[in-house]
Amino acid sequence: MKKIRFFKPKQKKLNRSMAGNTLLFVLMAICGVFMALPIVMIVNNALKPLDELFQFPPKIFVRNPTLENFSDLFVVMSDSWVPFSRYIMNTIIITGLGTVGHVLLASLAAYPLAKHNFPGKNILFSMVVLSMMFSWTVTQIPTYMIVSWLHINNNYLALILPAWQFGMGLYLMKQFMEQLPDSLMESARLDGATEFKIFWKIVMPNVKPAWLTLAIFQFQQMWANTGSMYLRDEQLKPLQFALQQIVGGGTARAGASAAVTFIIAAIPIIFFLVCQSNVIETMTTSGMKD
Amino acid sequence: MKKKKMSLTTKRSITGYVFILPWLAGFLIFYLRSLIMTANFSLSEITVAVGGGYDSKFVGLQNYLYAFRAHGSFKQVLTTSVGNMLIDVPLITFFSLLMAMLLNKKFKGRTLVRAIFFLPVIMNSAAITAAIDMSRQMLAGGLSASSAEMAGAASGVNVMYYVEMFSSLGLPSGVLDYIVAAVARINDIISASGVQIIIFIAALQSIPGSMYEVAKIEGATAYETFWKVTFPMVMPHIITNVVYTVVDNFANSEIVEMAYDTAFTEVNYGLSSAMSLVSTAIVCVILVIVCGFIQKRTFYYN
Repeated sequence: MKKIRFFKPKQKKLNRSMAGNTLLFVLMAICGVFMALPIVMIVNNALKPLDELFQFPPKIFVRNPTLENFSDLFVVMSDSWVPFSRYIMNTIIITGLGTVGHVLLASLAAYPLAKHNFPGKNILFSMVVLSMMFSWTVTQIPTYMIVSWLHINNNYLALILPAWQFGMGLYLMKQFMEQLPDSLMESARLDGATEFKIFWKIVMPNVKPAWLTLAIFQFQQMWANTGSMYLRDEQLKPLQFALQQIVGGGTARAGASAAVTFIIAAIPIIFFLVCQSNVIETMTTSGMKD
Repeated sequence: MKKKKMSLTTKRSITGYVFILPWLAGFLIFYLRSLIMTANFSLSEITVAVGGGYDSKFVGLQNYLYAFRAHGSFKQVLTTSVGNMLIDVPLITFFSLLMAMLLNKKFKGRTLVRAIFFLPVIMNSAAITAAIDMSRQMLAGGLSASSAEMAGAASGVNVMYYVEMFSSLGLPSGVLDYIVAAVARINDIISASGVQIIIFIAALQSIPGSMYEVAKIEGATAYETFWKVTFPMVMPHIITNVVYTVVDNFANSEIVEMAYDTAFTEVNYGLSSAMSLVSTAIVCVILVIVCGFIQKRTFYYN
């Protein structure tokens, strides 16, 4: 640090911004601590042996960390009526297809909305915004009726198909695509690229931060879905459902449910970390001369 | 072939439709249909039929009239929800912009810190809330309760003293009320801004670096760079975030809860649909006004 400062000509200015940065980081740290509390609790609970879990008054940090809770969880898992790997596979199918499909369809639809002009565009877009206003709690019954009308009840599709059409993704992608310079697409068009090629090779790489963000949201939503409304067969239910059943076991399964809570929270966090570390600064205007 | 006769604009618009089609098909089936169904329900009296299904009887605007004239708390809850939204939205937007700018700086462990700020979104999911409640019950007032107590003790500063001091200084009471309400919900605001922070980070990352370079060469200070480069460039995403915040806030508001209860505990589906349509309409009007206001001042890169 010192070395760099030594060679910089404007030492004073640098110092001032350093002070500002420190202040802001302190502020950030305070907010961060607040937000991190629940996860600290979850991690510590997962590592606590039973007697510490029931200790009163409770302690934040674990004294004798064990993996007992996880081994308890495995025992509970191996007892289950449907093999646990089945739940895991269901989750992979539902969450994976739901996330990938949504990101793809929303981006595809957002591209012409952002960059093309055609009749009916504005009506379409206001419809999308309107649909976002409708909270799922309110449209639950109509959605259920539509799902049974399509005969996809008790099927993965009942969870996947509605998830593809969330308005938020389209909205987000459109906002980001609008910011791309038109000349970028123009030049590709002049070089004879088809619209799909422009979309896939030019637009999508340039809005990578946007679709990775969207993937994070969607993953989070799909992961939290227990599907208990549509899926009746035990073999079709996602992991989330099985895990919540274990938590519902109450005091007798306190250890296992502490481990479950850890897993439920950890997976979206890992997904988030992977996505975020892939977001690198895009160079929207590289190769542009205006 | 026909292709040659088409003008470039028609051709382009056809490509546009083709791109939208897969999304639109599902949208029409799932969302538009359920919207129409809800509107239909709001004009009828729904009773559960014997042996499954439902019977509906057209009653006109009766559900709406009931909601406004006879229902005990609809109007009151509606006003509080909208009022809360108007307080929360600007605060969340600015807080998340500030946080996004901090988190966009290069420092070690940046991704981890970002993850911490995204935690509330993950923690808000029903599963985690259920699990945390569960452990809280088991511990009979465990950590979460005790930390809430601690927070209560820490903020045990006599707030009213300051409020009175400021009001005696002649600060308009509207502003004062806003500040008090804002301070009272700091926790809510922090935990509701996870998604917005991520959107802003993505927005900040799509600002071309050359802009900052130019600003630096021209000798702009950090303050000037923010107002002349960063702010105009993230402006379109301020709209995105305002829309998201409004939607998110509305989805968790009391009025939606009330509509939900009316539907599932009182089994009055017609009234519930009417309630949700009224509140949706109000939120839409607010959104149109706010977005129109921001849109005018928005700078688009092209």
